[in-house]
Amino acid sequence: MSKELIRLRNVSMAFDDELVLNNINLYINDKEFLTLLGPSGCGKTTTLRMIGGFATPTSGDVLFDGVRINDVPPHQRQINTVFQKYALFPHLNVFENIAFGLRMQRRPDPADPRKKTKIPEEEIRERVMEMLEIISLKGFENRRPDALSGGQQQRVAIARALVNKPKVLLLDEPLGALDLKLRKDMQIELKRIQQQVGITFIYVTHDQEEALTMSDTIVVMDKGSIQQIGTPEDIYNEPKNAFVADFIGESNIIDGIMVQDKLVQMYGRQFPCLDSGFAGNEPVDVVIRPEDIDIVPLEQGQLTGTVTSVTFKGMQYDIIVDFKGFKWLIQTTDHSPEGTRIGIKIDPDGIHVMKKSQYSGMFGDYSSFSDEYDELDDAGLTSDEEESGDEE
Amino acid sequence: MRAKAHIQGRASSRVLMALVFLFLYAPILLLIVFSFNKGNSNIVWTGFSLDWYKSLFQNRLIMRSVYTTLLVSLLATVIATFAGTFAAIGFYNLRRRQRTVLNTVNNIPMMNADIVTGVAMCLSFVAFFSFWSRFAVWFNGLQNMITLPSRLTLGFGTLLIAHITFNIPYVILSVSPKLRQMDKNLVDAAQDLGCTWMQAFWKVILPEIKPGIASGALTAFTMSVDDFIISYFTAGSSSSTLAMTIYGMTKKRVTPEINAISTLLFITVLLLLVIVNLREVRMERIGRQETPRSRVISRQVTLFFDSPKGKWFRRGAAGILSVSFLATVVLLTSATNAQPVVNVCSWGEYIDEELITQFEEETGILVNYQTAESNETLYSLLKSGAGDYDVIVPSDYMISQLIEEDMLAELDYDSIPNFSLIDSRFKHMSYDPENRYTVPYAWGTVGIIYNTAMVDEPITSWSVMFDPKYAGNVLMFRNSRDAIGIALSYLGYSLNTTDEAELREAFQLLKDAKNRGVYQSFVMDEIFQKLEGGNAAIGAYYAGDYLTMLENNEDLAFVVPEEGSNWFMDAMCVLKDAPHFNEAMAWINFIASTEANLANMDYLWYASPNQEALEEYPAYYEELYEEELDQETYEIIAAPQEVLDRCEAYLVLPPDIRTLYNDLWTELGI
Repeated sequence: MSKELIRLRNVSMAFDDELVLNNINLYINDKEFLTLLGPSGCGKTTTLRMIGGFATPTSGDVLFDGVRINDVPPHQRQINTVFQKYALFPHLNVFENIAFGLRMQRRPDPADPRKKTKIPEEEIRERVMEMLEIISLKGFENRRPDALSGGQQQRVAIARALVNKPKVLLLDEPLGALDLKLRKDMQIELKRIQQQVGITFIYVTHDQEEALTMSDTIVVMDKGSIQQIGTPEDIYNEPKNAFVADFIGESNIIDGIMVQDKLVQMYGRQFPCLDSGFAGNEPVDVVIRPEDIDIVPLEQGQLTGTVTSVTFKGMQYDIIVDFKGFKWLIQTTDHSPEGTRIGIKIDPDGIHVMKKSQYSGMFGDYSSFSDEYDELDDAGLTSDEEESGDEE
Repeated sequence: MRAKAHIQGRASSRVLMALVFLFLYAPILLLIVFSFNKGNSNIVWTGFSLDWYKSLFQNRLIMRSVYTTLLVSLLATVIATFAGTFAAIGFYNLRRRQRTVLNTVNNIPMMNADIVTGVAMCLSFVAFFSFWSRFAVWFNGLQNMITLPSRLTLGFGTLLIAHITFNIPYVILSVSPKLRQMDKNLVDAAQDLGCTWMQAFWKVILPEIKPGIASGALTAFTMSVDDFIISYFTAGSSSSTLAMTIYGMTKKRVTPEINAISTLLFITVLLLLVIVNLREVRMERIGRQETPRSRVISRQVTLFFDSPKGKWFRRGAAGILSVSFLATVVLLTSATNAQPVVNVCSWGEYIDEELITQFEEETGILVNYQTAESNETLYSLLKSGAGDYDVIVPSDYMISQLIEEDMLAELDYDSIPNFSLIDSRFKHMSYDPENRYTVPYAWGTVGIIYNTAMVDEPITSWSVMFDPKYAGNVLMFRNSRDAIGIALSYLGYSLNTTDEAELREAFQLLKDAKNRGVYQSFVMDEIFQKLEGGNAAIGAYYAGDYLTMLENNEDLAFVVPEEGSNWFMDAMCVLKDAPHFNEAMAWINFIASTEANLANMDYLWYASPNQEALEEYPAYYEELYEEELDQETYEIIAAPQEVLDRCEAYLVLPPDIRTLYNDLWTELGI
């Protein structure tokens, strides 16, 4: 891709004695759309604040264009931020909110380069109007923020940041307060704006779908550490460990033994796969995505199990199947009633083998299927408060 | 059925509500109504007039205290608002736990009893002063360039500091919620868009918390105007707030003048409250629409703070601010003032105030005139260090005690030529045999004042003060010396007896009468209202005060009982180390003049010690009022020698007897 713009080198951060970021190494390219993805408290917002200048790492360096900027205050960085809940200035109207950054700017006077001068009023007007056009809010310039809808406020917040022509735009869960439909629209809108203005976006979210939709690169984080960096496809298809596999999409994660290259053993049976590079008979985690499992007649099945629940999801059925006490999620268009015994077949490319990690055994069992959905919803609701504060 | 009960319930709750409001507002309403009363009664309406308001604005004591109050409230409000706002921001930036702790700490002073705050502040000021004087002496001895004032006193400076201190919590309390309501990311957003912290404060935080600051400032101002207790302990002798002045005036009785000033005070505070509330409503209503232009001044200030110079300016400003604050404190509390001043402490309504004005005009010396309730109050004020006066006017026995404790300064009689006018009977008195410390101010007798409409016999003896026949209708002195003295007189003992048996007998008499319910209450100046209003039939008090009461109730009569009584002399003294000794001499000389004595005698109806004044008074009266002063009245003011002969002055008692007085008084349980 293009050249590197930001680099975090061995960055750690501690509040009191609690390690919030643990030796983060990350580079971000120019014009890239990079997403920091993870559950609440994983350190993604702290990483973002560090890039924005609102937090200083306890150790390690933050580099911008190769220059160390650890101690550069926010107002001197060529970076702007779109905050959670937008943080529009309530006492200013839309026009003044967007013009705020421009009014603060000083640049060398063309007549006398030693002097600094304000941006002339006509130029401010021009640039604000241009931004209003980009965010499709022309005619709203005299409105107060609280007279706007959530989506409109969101766009004003983006315009307020972009009007300063930053090299990097930081977005801290900007869609978190919007309803689902609006969120989907805004995802596309954001991607469009990013391509239109052609700058780097660093985006923080806990919503994996959002991350997959918009990003060029996804950084999955948990417990202050980076779990995996990669393109959406990489992350989805080749998760590095059980955490990533579980967090991104749905996964059945089963204990297995890598008998040899391209052959993995589960439930005492051997399955051909495409993975290699493990030691002989190394214990591994095996990921099988629910949509990669085919239901076949009993006698043709590599494994057989009993259907314990069926949920209609519109495009497909979510079926929970019990294999020797371990419950799998299978997504299929075929209906198999509850209680029937079925056989399954998995193609070699549907099997992904991972090394054992600290997350092994924690995810991938659908015994408590419905609860798991609830948890996901909860994460979305609570993330705002927990992520923003430095008090935890 | 149920509907009916419901209606009844609603009706009774309305009645209850009406009663609550009646209790809350009826007294204030009454006060407001009677402030427009023509006469000087608080009970009988005699017609509408604005006279009391007029006399209010001519009363220099009140006007000066209004000025002091406004000045101290405004300054305290401005400083406390500034400090409190930044403190609130500091709190806001802390971790949650620290913030909770600090908020609690902040709330304690508001919940704390004012009296505790007041006393504590008074103590710490006095402690600081004594530390400072040691420091200043040491520092002045070290070099000659700067001379630090070594003597600081309670005064406007300490009053201001106290007001700032108790105002700050209120400001914090009203700014904090506004900060909490503010989106935490706003400051980050402003900084993100190119603001320094200071600019973010001006451009984003300030507009957001402005309503909180405004209501905090208004609350602080109201609190300041309203405060009495803390002011009382920290104002010292040279400043007096409106509340303190009103309190001083009520010692005798509530005059319609007080009604008038209280009405004005009430309306002021009411207006402030209305403004606070209206502001809030209006802010909520129009907050959405208008587009405020960032103000030019704030923008320029911001610009300056933004520049590299601004950083040093900021630090410098903080330094200069704290230094100048300290200097102001020292200056304000320093005793060495440019304008000559004399601090006088006397009794309530114990001077014709015209004299103060006259003295100030003649000499250019400013008079800070304060009052104390009784000799004992004055004594404890002096002992606590809170009463930093030049001239005091204690009574005979207190003078002996003060001399004994070496608290008085010897006077410079060469500067008091008018001393020669004092009747020789009143020189070299027992309390000051060599006459080195005192110049007499006024004298009089104690006797029985009674309502002829409420008793059916001529009263000539102290016996009525102990007679169950008048149970519930008798008023006795609320101080041990006078109360026990009356019993001693009745029993035929000396007022100055040191015989414990005699004292115990007198005490028993008093105690029995008290147990039998003879006394309606033990009073000092409250006696005015009670006897004038016909709320009590009999009371013991001063002759001069009887004449004042007679103006308001013609049924009253006065007698110096046949057993004899106390005759007292109040004299002007100067405290040791008084900072304004020369001004004090000028004041004493002025008051000792015949003119001043005539004016005072006419105002007080206490006898003058000035021989000329005493003799000329009937003529003076006739000229002034165009009617003859009847002999009986004159003799009540200035008791003839034969009455004086059966009376006795108080002498200072030996310490063990003083203790006995205190113990007996405590045992009586007033």
